Amino acid sequence: MSGVSKTFRRREGGEHLALSAIDLAVAEGEFVSILGPSGCGKSTLLYMLGGFVAPSSGSIRVGDRPVTGPGPDRGPVFQEFALFPWKTVLGNVAYGLREQGVARVAAEARARALIAQVGLKDYETFYPKELSGGMKQRVAIARTLAYDPAILLMDEPFGALDAHTRTRLQNDLLSLWERDRKTVLFVTHSVDEAVFLSDRVVVMSRSPGRIKADVTIDLPRPRRRADLLLDARYQRHVIDLERLIDDAPDVGVRP
Amino acid sequence: MSARLLARAPIGLLPIAVLIGIWQAVALSGLAPPALLPRPALVFARVLEQLGQPEFLLHAAATLRRLFAGFVVALVLGVALGLAAGVNRRVDAVVRPLVRILAPIPKIALYPALILTLGFDDAPKIVLVAADSFFPILLATLQGARAVEPKLVWAARAAGTSAAASIYKVVLPATLPAILTGCRIGLVVSCIVVFLAEMISSTDGLGWVLVNAARRFQTVDMFVPLIAISVLGLALNLGLSAIRARLLVGFPEEA
Amino acid sequence: MRGLATLPGLPPLLAIGGLLAAWQAASLAVGLDSLPGVPATLAAFPDLIRDPDTIRNIADSLRRMVVGFAAALALALPLGILMGRSRTFARLMNPLLMVTYPVPKAALMPIIMLWLGVGDLSKTLVIVFAVSLPVIYHAYAGARAVEEKMLWSAAAMGMSGPARLLRVVVPAALPEILVGCRTGIVIALITMVTSEMIARQSGIGNLIFNSLDFAQYETVYAMIVVVGVLGIVLDIAFERLRTALVGWASPVGEVAVASA
Repeated sequence: MSGVSKTFRRREGGEHLALSAIDLAVAEGEFVSILGPSGCGKSTLLYMLGGFVAPSSGSIRVGDRPVTGPGPDRGPVFQEFALFPWKTVLGNVAYGLREQGVARVAAEARARALIAQVGLKDYETFYPKELSGGMKQRVAIARTLAYDPAILLMDEPFGALDAHTRTRLQNDLLSLWERDRKTVLFVTHSVDEAVFLSDRVVVMSRSPGRIKADVTIDLPRPRRRADLLLDARYQRHVIDLERLIDDAPDVGVRP
Repeated sequence: MSARLLARAPIGLLPIAVLIGIWQAVALSGLAPPALLPRPALVFARVLEQLGQPEFLLHAAATLRRLFAGFVVALVLGVALGLAAGVNRRVDAVVRPLVRILAPIPKIALYPALILTLGFDDAPKIVLVAADSFFPILLATLQGARAVEPKLVWAARAAGTSAAASIYKVVLPATLPAILTGCRIGLVVSCIVVFLAEMISSTDGLGWVLVNAARRFQTVDMFVPLIAISVLGLALNLGLSAIRARLLVGFPEEA
Repeated sequence: MRGLATLPGLPPLLAIGGLLAAWQAASLAVGLDSLPGVPATLAAFPDLIRDPDTIRNIADSLRRMVVGFAAALALALPLGILMGRSRTFARLMNPLLMVTYPVPKAALMPIIMLWLGVGDLSKTLVIVFAVSLPVIYHAYAGARAVEEKMLWSAAAMGMSGPARLLRVVVPAALPEILVGCRTGIVIALITMVTSEMIARQSGIGNLIFNSLDFAQYETVYAMIVVVGVLGIVLDIAFERLRTALVGWASPVGEVAVASA
């Protein structure tokens, strides 16, 4: 895959215009956050890219192939984890590999390695219900990484976690990414999270969802949380982005 | 599970003991002649004696055969149709109104028609059992399949599972708890219906044993099949609970 | 598809039409006297309705059903609600209910008839037994699920224990209770027909089997249609009642399914 470019364009006529004329291109290996208030359609954007939801108009391409449905080149990670409750940690992580036609033994070996990588060694035989939220999301990330998608689609993956767990997972995701350099699209409504993780932050407005700003985060990598929090450029980005979101021309009444 | 059952058993056995006590008292007091109300000890001794009789066991086997034949037909059809209607709107649009009309019809009323068209053998009884246990299983499956988190399917689709395969790889296992709930109702219904069908028209089976005893005013023998069907129902329920515990290891406990 | 969905009455009517067409097709395909077609069955109705005997049988059946159902409610609702509010009482009653659940209540007919004769009392009693179980069960589930905090705030407002039961627990459990009643109505109908088929003396079930014995097949099918329509009408009527009473609760979407 070379020179990844993606164009979204969605224009929904009729009752509700969820996303209006979105153009977005993401380069290979880039970490892009999509930031916006709830209801701005940022998750929908991600689902369309995943091929789970069809756009009403416009086209989406990955490389030079148009997106017509889900595929193992784009791996989703959901806020709700969406782990298979009837499978163990090992079964969940090995699922994608087995679907790709990898033999059981090889798939399980690879799954074990990934489980160790996300810090869940010795939890292979546990069922999702026996894990905490943070652990579940680690399993979900490992399940997606298992089939080695070129693009990760992360839909508020840490939104359901407590602040402490959230920080730890952000750090771990960052070190994983700095090693693999996969393309990541990361939907969030947390400004700190977006600035901390991304190369670029796309800010969206609501009703209809539009791209309001596209900010490049020029902070050096590898990033360390402790350093960044004191970094004036980091603080500047956070303040600017928060102001951008506050200025969003919405009525201000949130459900 | 069994520990919990034991813990609550002692106090719960009280009403049953009291009922049997009253039964014993009335029988002994001479208020009711033994021909109308035999002593409980006599009845239970007769149950044990019959359990050793090949003839009685053959009747029980006939009942079980019809029960399971009908139940399996209902299970296969109910789950297949429930899943189909759960994932496909067109199937749902056809199934729902049919169910709305057919479910509240007392199926036992169709029994004479079944006898007329299918003869007096096993066929009408099996069809009746199937027809009666079909609806609880279908409805439970349909509701369960409808409630499956779409992101579970998306996660599998992204890992390379085809849309058709995701029905049995994701929707079916995710619906399993609901299906098993439907099965529990379906089994009780099967027990009841097979017995009644045998009472109304049959030449063997537990229901026939009761009618036959009634014809000859063998009061003691009339209680035997009733106790047998109650024990059978309990045993089936326990068996299903064991299967449930095994199949649903990963699922959260039901409230 | 959307066009159909907006007309709520139409899909069930289409379903009925489809079912009748399937019946007629099967009748033509089989070509036996024992499976008359739709027109022949419908032609049997005028004679049936003119026969005072038929009307009396149907009236007998309905009377037993209504009395049995009402008596079952009077017995089962307090029991179920009490079970829902008292853990000990629930533990006391549960095994007894578990043991009696798989016993077909209509199968008690021969024994009850020995004691009480073949008359109304036996048949009504059987209906009471059959209807009670699902009603107890659902009232129990409904009363158990009432939020404790709702009771606390009622107590804080100075409501006495019995008043809380009547004015908080019962309304809160009502949606679930009505689900039990809906199942109970279907079961009442089933038990009524079945008990009459087992103890043939009067009623719809008796009429069906009498006609069967005399090879009056059209009458058999006509009476089956009567029972079926009765089931559907009762279900729809009850669903209306339910929506009127507990429109505030989210629809249960459950169709009454169970047997006697």
